[in-house]
Order: sequence, then C-alpha cells, then structure tokens
Amino acid sequence: MPGAIAFEFPDLFFGGLWLTVQLSGLGLIGALVLGTAVALMRVSPIAPVRWVGAAYVEFFRNTPLVVQLFFLFLGLPLLGLRFASDTFDNIFRAAFVGMALYHGAYVAEVVRGGLLGVDRGQIEAARSLGLSYAQTLREVQLPQTFRAVIPPLGNIAIALVKNTSLASTIGVTDLLFAAEIVESRTFRAGEAFLTATLLYLALTIPLGLVVNGLERRLLVVR
Amino acid sequence: MFADPAIWRFFGDGLVQTLALSVVSVVLSFPVGLAFALGRLSSRRWIRWPATAYVEAIRALPVLLLIVYFGIKGSSLFRPIFGADFELPRFWAGVLGLSLYTSAVLAEIIRAGILTLPRGQTEASRALGLSYPQTMRFVVLPQALRLMVPAMMGQLTTVIKDTSLVGTIGVFDLLRQGRTIYTQFFNPIEVLLIVATIYFVICFVLSQLSRRLELGSVTREAKIRMTELELRDQAA
Repeated sequence: MPGAIAFEFPDLFFGGLWLTVQLSGLGLIGALVLGTAVALMRVSPIAPVRWVGAAYVEFFRNTPLVVQLFFLFLGLPLLGLRFASDTFDNIFRAAFVGMALYHGAYVAEVVRGGLLGVDRGQIEAARSLGLSYAQTLREVQLPQTFRAVIPPLGNIAIALVKNTSLASTIGVTDLLFAAEIVESRTFRAGEAFLTATLLYLALTIPLGLVVNGLERRLLVVR
Repeated sequence: MFADPAIWRFFGDGLVQTLALSVVSVVLSFPVGLAFALGRLSSRRWIRWPATAYVEAIRALPVLLLIVYFGIKGSSLFRPIFGADFELPRFWAGVLGLSLYTSAVLAEIIRAGILTLPRGQTEASRALGLSYPQTMRFVVLPQALRLMVPAMMGQLTTVIKDTSLVGTIGVFDLLRQGRTIYTQFFNPIEVLLIVATIYFVICFVLSQLSRRLELGSVTREAKIRMTELELRDQAA
C-alpha cells in the first residue's frame, strides 16, 4: 500500500508533518502582520517611509528564499543576534523569521493592491466629510481591501506551505527532511518520497479547493 | 580575499550553471506545458482528466521535493532504458525536477491566456471552416501567447530563484559556489550578500521588464487571474 512506510516511521513522518504545519501556520501569521504593516508604509503620505517599504518588497521578492534562510541561519549569529546554530529551537526560529520575511513581501504587494483598488473618490469624500487619515483608513479603505485580498492571500498561503520544505536545508526536520532520513536509513526512496508527496498533497489540495471556492464567492471586478 | 580574481571566477562558474539551468529548464518546460494546457482544454475526457491531474498535483508539491527525488532516484529511473551502470548527471537531475514543476505552472499560464480570448474568435474560425488544430495554430495561440509574455517572464524569475535549490543535490550553482567559499574563509555574511545581490540584479531587471511588456490589451479579470497564478506558484 502506498504510504505504508509512514507507519513504520511514524515519529519521523508525522512529526515532520506537524513541524511543516506549525511552520506554515506561524509563518503565515508573521507574513500577514509584517505584510500589512509594509503595505501601509507603501501607501504612506511620507516619501521616505514609502521608499523603505518598496526597498523591502523588491529585495525579498527578487532573491531566493534559501539564500535568505542561510543568511538568517549563519549570518545573524555572527552579527550578534542569537539565532545561534546550536539548538533546534533556534533553527526553527530562523526558519520562521525567513518564512515571515519572504512571504511578507508578497503579502505587502497584495494588500497594497487592495488599498489602491479602493476608489479615490471615496477617500476624498471621507476626508472632506471630516474623517481623519487614520479614520478613513480604518472605516473606509481597510474593510473593502479585506474582501479583495482574501483570495490572493490564500494563494500565498499555499505557496508558503510548499516553501516550508526549504527549511529542511538549514536543518528543520520537516516532512521533506523526514523523507530524506527514512530514505538514507532504508534506501526505499520511492516509498519515502511518495509518502511525503501524499502528505504534502493532503495539505495543499484541500487548501487549494478552499481558495478556489473563496475566489468564486469574493471576486469583485471593479 | 575579494581582491583575488580566482574568487570571482569561482562565482562566475556558479552563475553560468545557474543561468544554464534556468534557460534549459524553461525551454524544455514550454512544449510540455503547452501540451498539457491544450490537454486540459480538450473536449475528450480521457485527455482532459489526466492532464488536469498532472497539472494540479505537480503544482501542489514543493519544487524542492521534486529536485531531491530526482537527485536521489534519477539514475535508477533511467537504468531500464540506458543500461545498469547509467548515472544521471546531477545537472540533468536538477533540470528534470525544475522542468517538471515549471511545465505544470506554464500549462496553467497558457490555459489562462487561452481562456482570456473572447469565445467569439474560436467560434468564428470554426464557422469559417478551420479545423480545431488550425483554429489553435492560426487564431488562438498567436494572440494568447502574446498576452502571456509578461506572466512567462515572471515565471522565468521564479525559475532563476528556484535554481538555488539544486545545491542540495550537488550541482555547483551560484549559491553552492558561495557556500564553498564561505566554508573556506568563514565569511558567510559577505559572501551571502554578494550572492543575494547577483540574484537580485538579475531578477529585479527581469521583473521590471515583464511589468513594462504589455503586449495586446488584457482584461482586468485576466490580469487578476494571472497575478493569482503567479502568487500560487511562487516557490523560493
């Protein structure tokens, strides 16, 4: 039976799956918080704030995630920040920061698109009615943005689940790493990787169906 | 040490591998992607269903999983064809993993491009007596492929970033060369910054170009669809 090897090494496969889920969930929360903050920077009326936001987005979108992970894993300890490579918690923390930083840049672009998608007339009307910049943002822009950005954010979440596999390159014993360990112990590469494949599909395919459903329900064509 | 030209030649060798991998993978993926896109649009169920399953399953997998799999198992997959002592070169194991993934993504981009064209075009061509293959070849694809150029350039930057994963199976690409250097000189910060800058310059220029290239008019819905595809298939 395909996938039976998962029950011969349950600690590795299901433990790996659990780490993948944890890293995806935490990474997504981090990316959403960071991305929304950067999106607000990018529509800020203060020019230098916009530039910092733009620089962040372009840098993290145009360099490979593995390079960023290696940097966090190896570089930051040397700079005195304690993601030291000695304990597993620290490796996991470095991977989490990497996931949040990389996907945060994509989230920022999506949220910015959503904010700019709101008709300028509405913002001008709100301001002339006496609402402050912050009030306009909170009461007028953000609620409409929210609806527009849910489907693309779902797509980023799917990408994030797949990308957590890169954490295996710095030593996080996620699902992919589990398959590699089992392969090196048993030399049953076909079975080990098929099992990892099925477990990844069990995460990403249902997520994809949810996103497609939301897309159909929420798509607003202005 | 960065004054030594040998170091820069070392980076250069890696860069050549990275670029070669990207170009070979994209070139190989395109015909496969086109075939699967047409397969998904076919009216015959026995073609449509397997094509859909291939595209959806491969897109749902991490590209690193595919690369590592071919890195470990690639040689023995081809032994029944090429003989018992066949060794798949690591470069081609990397190409195989990258192309498998990229072909599924390109299939989705091409399909989205084809679906963007107004149905009237196909119907008119068929009514004028063109066969289905003729309609595709002379009417639909020339327009659809032009619409897709920006999305495909976007995908090229993703492939270039993804090539950085082949170091895990022992291809000496840009990142792997950098890792060799910093293990030798113990300066990961400087080396990784140089490596990141090289990737950044290539990918930033390509992504700016793809933004400028708007060939033909794309509807708003099509643009949204293309952006979402790009987001979903964004790997490292």
